[in-house]
Amino acid sequence: MSSKDLFHRLILVHRNMSTAYFDHHQVNFELAGDLDRPVITFLNGLTQNANLWKSYAEYFVPRGYRVLAYDMIGQGRSSKPVIDIPLAAHADMLAALLDELKIDKTHLASISFGGIIALDFAIRYGQRLHSLVAMSTFAELTPQLEFLGTVMTQGLTDVGLPYMQSMLYPMNMSSAWIAANRERIPAMKRAGYIGNDAYAMQNLMESFTAFKPLTPDLHKIKVPTLIMNGEFDFFTPRECHELMRSKIANSRLLIIQHAYHAFTLEMPTVTMRQIEVFLGQVDTGAWKGDQSVWIANEDTAAPEQWLPIAGDWMRAVQIAAPVKAPEPVVAKSPANSAPRRPAKSPAATPAPLPVAAVRKTVTRKTKP
Amino acid sequence: MIDPVGFDQARDRIAATGFTPEIQSKIALVLSAAKNGNLMFQASLQWMPGLGLLQQFLISQSARELEAVTLLARTTQWASNPALALEANRIVAPLITAWGQIMMPPGPMFNPRAVYRGISLGHAQLARIRLLPVIPDNADPLDPYVVALSRIEQENGRMLQTQIRLLKNIEADIPLGERETLVEQDQELVDGVFNAFLAWLSAT
Repeated sequence: MSSKDLFHRLILVHRNMSTAYFDHHQVNFELAGDLDRPVITFLNGLTQNANLWKSYAEYFVPRGYRVLAYDMIGQGRSSKPVIDIPLAAHADMLAALLDELKIDKTHLASISFGGIIALDFAIRYGQRLHSLVAMSTFAELTPQLEFLGTVMTQGLTDVGLPYMQSMLYPMNMSSAWIAANRERIPAMKRAGYIGNDAYAMQNLMESFTAFKPLTPDLHKIKVPTLIMNGEFDFFTPRECHELMRSKIANSRLLIIQHAYHAFTLEMPTVTMRQIEVFLGQVDTGAWKGDQSVWIANEDTAAPEQWLPIAGDWMRAVQIAAPVKAPEPVVAKSPANSAPRRPAKSPAATPAPLPVAAVRKTVTRKTKP
Repeated sequence: MIDPVGFDQARDRIAATGFTPEIQSKIALVLSAAKNGNLMFQASLQWMPGLGLLQQFLISQSARELEAVTLLARTTQWASNPALALEANRIVAPLITAWGQIMMPPGPMFNPRAVYRGISLGHAQLARIRLLPVIPDNADPLDPYVVALSRIEQENGRMLQTQIRLLKNIEADIPLGERETLVEQDQELVDGVFNAFLAWLSAT
């Protein structure tokens, strides 16, 4: 069945909120911006909904783009099937939605769960893409992710959705953000509880039981691909993104400083700026997909937004070259002036290392 | 679809007055009616031949539904106004009718479609009737009634696993789309009842 056949009809509802039908499921979407502009489509994370991209639409529409955001089946105000929704159906649904909206090609930006769908889409429907942004995501379940997924599912089914929400906040956000928003969090959790259905989320998570690693097919992604990873993302750590970088020839890896998993929510300004830079490069033909690694500038007004990286980006610490300790100075003392406590060894208080010595520890080279 | 605004209005109303006997009675009446429907269904299936492991889940669920109804009955500060019971009956009438159809002779034990419908309706009730979002932030979390609502909701999530597994695995001869449609119809039924209930809860 072609993706066109899957859509039976399209119903336009008031304002920007619209509903389309995928087979017998309804899909809630928002499309903002003028016709004939390049489209950016945003794909949600597991517990997110289309509304969370509203600020992105407000940013990109005045900059000449159309912005499409939608709730995947099982999310937000879209249908939440009880029995089954195969993982692959989400990419098929996106293709059908683009057909229905008469969008031939789109830029596709995605986070976490949405990132997997985006990778799948880029592999199978690459001709529909101008470019791909994959944020905080993975192409295959590492043993850590597999165990985390099991724990999340167990928490959801044995304890409940509020437990899983509480578990996700510290995995997604920094301590600084949690401290600053502590009073708002109960209301935010409540809104998430109302907007999500535990069984639907369970379905989305259980669709991973049939998940086949996308890694063997990543080489099929030919479009410009920006892979973005939070510096401190321990949910989908660097190794997940490094794998994508190494397999997608036309890619670059961009590390967002001080960011955790959900940096699209915690650091929207930085994220939007980086996506804007990337899209600008793609649109003007300046993009260079060379699998290099960069750091996003935290100053969004700075002329240079992508800073070169020093050191091994796979490590959380950088090991300096050993520095020869200075020779201890032995003073001549009178025989009866022995100290009550042994003197500190000079080796116990090493001198600070010069910057040059630190830089010498680079073990991987980028291709700026 | 349950209107999120309904939750907010009900919560605001409860925040303003607290869990008065009238509000507690409204919740207890509607919730108990829904749970009694599922309880009746679950109890009728317990001795169906060839259930195997499933029997344990059915007996367990009917016991837990009974426990929930009992917990509500003894923690609720009941209002004496009989009009509340009449209005609650009006609101839950679609559910009572649906459960009545499922239990219609010869009964679900001899009617596989009725079994599927009962599981589907039970799923919709356990999944969609959610009261945690109407508990105001200023409610005492140790208040026995609040504790009861929280425990019931948590238990609903656990019980729901039985329905999820059954809906995925039984009646596989019915096409997937048709099964999904049946389940969606029950969700819409429950959503309609719950929206009406939230509106009643919000009313002064």
